[in-house]
Amino acid sequence: MFVSNVELHEACTMDEAFALMDRLEDARILAGGTDLLVDLKVGRASACSLISIKRIDALKGIAERDGDWRIGALTTITELGASECVKTHLPVLIDATSKMAAPQIRNVATVGGNIVSAVPCADLPPVFLVLNAGVTVQSSEGERCIPLDSFFQHVRKTALRSDEMLTAIVVPKPPDRFGAAYARFSLRDGNSIAVAGVAAGLEFNERGEIVSARVSLGAVSPTPMLVADAEDILVGNPLDDDACVRVGDAAMGACSPICDVRGSDAFRREIVGILAGRALRLAQQRAMETPS
Amino acid sequence: MMTAREFSINGQLYRVAVDSSDTLLDVLRDKIGLTGTKKGCNVGDCGACLVVVDGLTMNSCLLLAAEMEGKSIATIEGIAVNGELSPVQKAFVGEGGVQCGYCTPGMVLSATTLLKENPDPTRDEIKSALSGNLCRCTGYTGILRAVERCGHYRDDGTCANKDGIGANKDGTGANKEGIGVKNGVIARKSDSNGDHIAGASGNGERRSDRSDKSGKFETVGVSVPRVDAVDKVTGRAIYTADIALPNMVYARILGSPIAHGIIKSIDTSRARALPGVLDVLTGDDVPDTMYGVSPARYDEYVLAKDKVRHHGDEVAAVAAIDEKTAEQAIALIDVEYEELPVVLDPMEAMDDGAPLLHERYKGNVNTHVDHSFGDVAGGFAKSVHVREEVFTGNTIYQCPMEPHAAIATWDPDGTLVLYTSTQVPHYVQYMMAHVLHMPLGKIRVIRPTVGGGFGGKAETTPLDLCAALFSRRLGRPVKMVYSREDMFLHGRGRHKQHMHFKIGVDAEGRIQAFSSKIYLDGGAYSSFGVATAYYAGSVIPTLYRIPSYKYDGYRVMTNKPASGAMRGHGVPQPRFAFECLLNMIADDLNIDPVEIRRRNAIEANEMTVNEMDIGSCEFLATLEAAADASKWVDKWGKLPKGKGIGIASGGFVSGAGYCIYRGQVQLSHEKPREPFVKKSIFPHSNAVVRISEDGMTAIVMIGAAEIGQGSDTVLTQMCAESLGIPMDRMRIHSDDSDFSPLDLGAYSSRVTLMAGFAVSRAGVAVFDKMRPYAAAMLNCDESEVEARDAKVFSRNDRDRTVAWEEVARKYFNENGPLVGTGCYKPPDGLGGDYKGSTVGTSPAYSFGTAICEVSVDLETGKIKIDRFTDYHDCGTPINPQAVHGQVEGAVAMGASETIYEDVQFDEKGLVLNPNLHGYMIMSIMDAPEIFSGLVDSYEPRGPFGAKEIGEGSTLPVLGAVAHAIANATGVWLKDLPITPEKVLAALREKRLRLGEEVGATQER
Repeated sequence: MFVSNVELHEACTMDEAFALMDRLEDARILAGGTDLLVDLKVGRASACSLISIKRIDALKGIAERDGDWRIGALTTITELGASECVKTHLPVLIDATSKMAAPQIRNVATVGGNIVSAVPCADLPPVFLVLNAGVTVQSSEGERCIPLDSFFQHVRKTALRSDEMLTAIVVPKPPDRFGAAYARFSLRDGNSIAVAGVAAGLEFNERGEIVSARVSLGAVSPTPMLVADAEDILVGNPLDDDACVRVGDAAMGACSPICDVRGSDAFRREIVGILAGRALRLAQQRAMETPS
Repeated sequence: MMTAREFSINGQLYRVAVDSSDTLLDVLRDKIGLTGTKKGCNVGDCGACLVVVDGLTMNSCLLLAAEMEGKSIATIEGIAVNGELSPVQKAFVGEGGVQCGYCTPGMVLSATTLLKENPDPTRDEIKSALSGNLCRCTGYTGILRAVERCGHYRDDGTCANKDGIGANKDGTGANKEGIGVKNGVIARKSDSNGDHIAGASGNGERRSDRSDKSGKFETVGVSVPRVDAVDKVTGRAIYTADIALPNMVYARILGSPIAHGIIKSIDTSRARALPGVLDVLTGDDVPDTMYGVSPARYDEYVLAKDKVRHHGDEVAAVAAIDEKTAEQAIALIDVEYEELPVVLDPMEAMDDGAPLLHERYKGNVNTHVDHSFGDVAGGFAKSVHVREEVFTGNTIYQCPMEPHAAIATWDPDGTLVLYTSTQVPHYVQYMMAHVLHMPLGKIRVIRPTVGGGFGGKAETTPLDLCAALFSRRLGRPVKMVYSREDMFLHGRGRHKQHMHFKIGVDAEGRIQAFSSKIYLDGGAYSSFGVATAYYAGSVIPTLYRIPSYKYDGYRVMTNKPASGAMRGHGVPQPRFAFECLLNMIADDLNIDPVEIRRRNAIEANEMTVNEMDIGSCEFLATLEAAADASKWVDKWGKLPKGKGIGIASGGFVSGAGYCIYRGQVQLSHEKPREPFVKKSIFPHSNAVVRISEDGMTAIVMIGAAEIGQGSDTVLTQMCAESLGIPMDRMRIHSDDSDFSPLDLGAYSSRVTLMAGFAVSRAGVAVFDKMRPYAAAMLNCDESEVEARDAKVFSRNDRDRTVAWEEVARKYFNENGPLVGTGCYKPPDGLGGDYKGSTVGTSPAYSFGTAICEVSVDLETGKIKIDRFTDYHDCGTPINPQAVHGQVEGAVAMGASETIYEDVQFDEKGLVLNPNLHGYMIMSIMDAPEIFSGLVDSYEPRGPFGAKEIGEGSTLPVLGAVAHAIANATGVWLKDLPITPEKVLAALREKRLRLGEEVGATQER
């Protein structure tokens, strides 16, 4: 099993990358490569050229800008989980990063890759969805921002144009009394793939009522998705068991899981209902812990 | 696009021409020659290829080499400095963190990286750090222990460094330097009888031994580190795929993309036209001789001649200048198939009109067993309680971490030299001779280090045969290696069994009758299946007194990769079913599950109803010890919802009583059809010991296959014991049929007992030759002469000694080479006089009891196996650490089988999960805490009182897990694997049932 014959081009700047993208036929962008190289080995993907962007410094690091966090696309999963801002402000991301694959994969795989690959079982997209994140994409013509909830189109298909590159994920600073959590189910604990994942982001008022709510699902539909009814069910009320069940039911109704070696569609749907309640409760707990 | 790149590896600069598409893994192994980095899956699932890049662990199979310029790369070869092992490496050696060694480089690197950042990690942090490194041998227990105790192996550490491997300054070959026999117990005081985890406080006093005149053994019974451990922690161990011979070429096999069909035509022209392709083989080019395992059922061609019968069935092969070209070329072979309907279920396969796989197996029945012993009808008639249940097993693949590999080359004199990753070098030699029509003596089988087998490497593969054929045609060495997917598609894993079991008991729960009907899913070829079908019945009565027993077994052909022999051969699934049913009956009668076993337990020197001759037996002791150590009485029936405890027992043969083929060692085509005789025709294990001319080193040669289980170590220990010299004066060669005499191999848990006898008898033979010279030097009678720790003395005057080597030199001066031979034949007359009576016979049987504790998430159905308490009767443990290592590995493997593993097929018979992310084996994060203990036992028919441990330790595991889950959830799951999905379905069904009952009550 080998990577098919490809030409490797290493870009050191965005401009070099765009020039290569413009010039090369049938090229793929290579970042961490933990998905792409596997796809090339097993024949799930093919390419004549790979444009490595690993040396582009502009795509690295996490920075605060205008009250938002800008997470460079090349940030590795390990770096994301270890960053101070994530530990302090966005612990929900650690729910995902700590369970994704294995350390030696997390040391290589990038945040951008986890999003732009648009693999249905990816863990970060549902989390970023409840954080109301957007992605920044760039082409030689300029930059545009795409809200994450309109970025994913289908399995491995996104709104990214062929001349564009995902450069960063932008996460707005959460409001006060906001908490988020990601509940994930996998068959095995080590080196695992999500069978279903539910993320919840809840903002409360002083009276403990929910002001805004987002619930998202991973691994149970062609794209990561928001549960549309969740907001209606939750907003204006405190979180109680009944609300958790109703959101769970809404999530079960909204998803469209596949049946594969990791479980049937019915099982995944059932799990989604359970995970929704767990994510909501943990999100609530975190919201209560955050200083108001 | 080939470019010259510069790499910094282990502090050295290497300038190498690499292609854009080369992975770092392939460059390290094939271009730089650093083969310590292993290829286990090639897609990032297993961690065998792990390296450290700029301080971070990474899978080198998922890195393009060209991108690694300017980075600092560390591989396993860079961890030991000037031959001095690092503390992590020492700890892996000393704590039993190494078995087959294939995962070891990655494990050592992951652990080293963790400890650099976090010198005092918690257990959870260690597990997390190693979660991407899969191991199939150790159950992760020895590895975890090694990382936890690493501090003891630092320079300022404790005893270990001074007494143990720390003395091994040159870092080469553990048995060369430093591992003194007495000091060989590293960091663990408890030996034969001590428990394992709590071992530090254990009981260091070994029982006195009945056979040993002086009352104690010197080398046997001691936890010396493995003789190959240092090679394995340093990346020096050489596996077949690590070998490159001059002028070598590579070949790959094309498998069928469909599960059943007729080959209409094969067009190889496009493949032949690809630059770099040297030769192509199809069914037309391979011998017409069929091969297999059971001589009555040879039913495979080297490559398919007319028909394909499963997804991956081998159709054609290409040899090329490199592996990548060979792989590209097989995709250019055009095969036209006429698709046939498939049959995937053994019960359906027996129906009239079902697709027929082989003309010779009518109704697709490959083997039918019809056994009945005692008065079965009467037994059920007098039973007070009878319970009948149906259990279903799963399709398990062994998943050794090392993929199969073979290299063939022909010497100018016509000798075939075959390097192969096998458990059974002799049977490979026998089968190569059979297919190639040449004498066994013209075939030299070399078995390099083997990275695990578990039965998956117990037969000749198409790699062995195609490599030999290509090599003969091309006049060049030919190397072939399976991909991970090839391994799954070639199959030979555990048979999925459909089991209808019925047990009748009296009011006290004593078994009166047992009947079983089993359909074994055989897959497309016979492989070991005839034996499997018999084993599924024959070993069941070796544990409990079963006065009457009926077994009706059908091994049926289906369009799946052939099922074969896997750890516990045929028995684990029926044992699971039996233990579950016994526990159900205990519940029905309100008898404690421990007590019902106590009432039925077989004891020493009994003959089972199917005429298996039980010798030593401490089954009851294992039961009591496991119950005590697990605090069974405090937990059974007292755990909260979602927590469960379960028990099961099991045991196995210590070596098959009979050889797989009949007659003497000879090319099969020359032999007359031989009738079965109830005795071994030739010795099943044979050893030669040669003493170096200076008398300082004993070299033991035996064909017993070290596959990671530790046979080289325990055989060296037994030979040293019989010679009276310490381990550091021993070397073992078990890897080359030109030097190492025949041993039947590593299967049926036979090596410790059978090969143990051969090496110890060879040692005795050497010493007997030395006796007259020693007697003369000591001025005593020959019969009084003894040796210990390389000193020879008279039993009656132990203070006056002569050096062992001096006696040996004297012998050499007078007679030439000092050589001794030893052999072992199983006892004559084993087994009854009925058809199939040979299967399950053995000189000795092992026994064990396992208690499992689990937590079940009742909302998601997810199972966490928390703890295992296992006690075994393996006779005298030759090397307690190695014994515990086998138990720990068996527990993790068995637990993994029970809740995770299943090869899955679509409706057309295509394998859906031929990889290590779809087919999940247990990771260190999921592995239970394992407490392994041994009971005092002595087997008179084993060397130094020893019996088996490797396979028997698997047997209690499945049932114990299933029982614990039933205990935690209140529902029995009888269909393996017990997945969260099945748990939820069973809980739902129970709720519905209860709801209906409540409803019915209300209506009334």
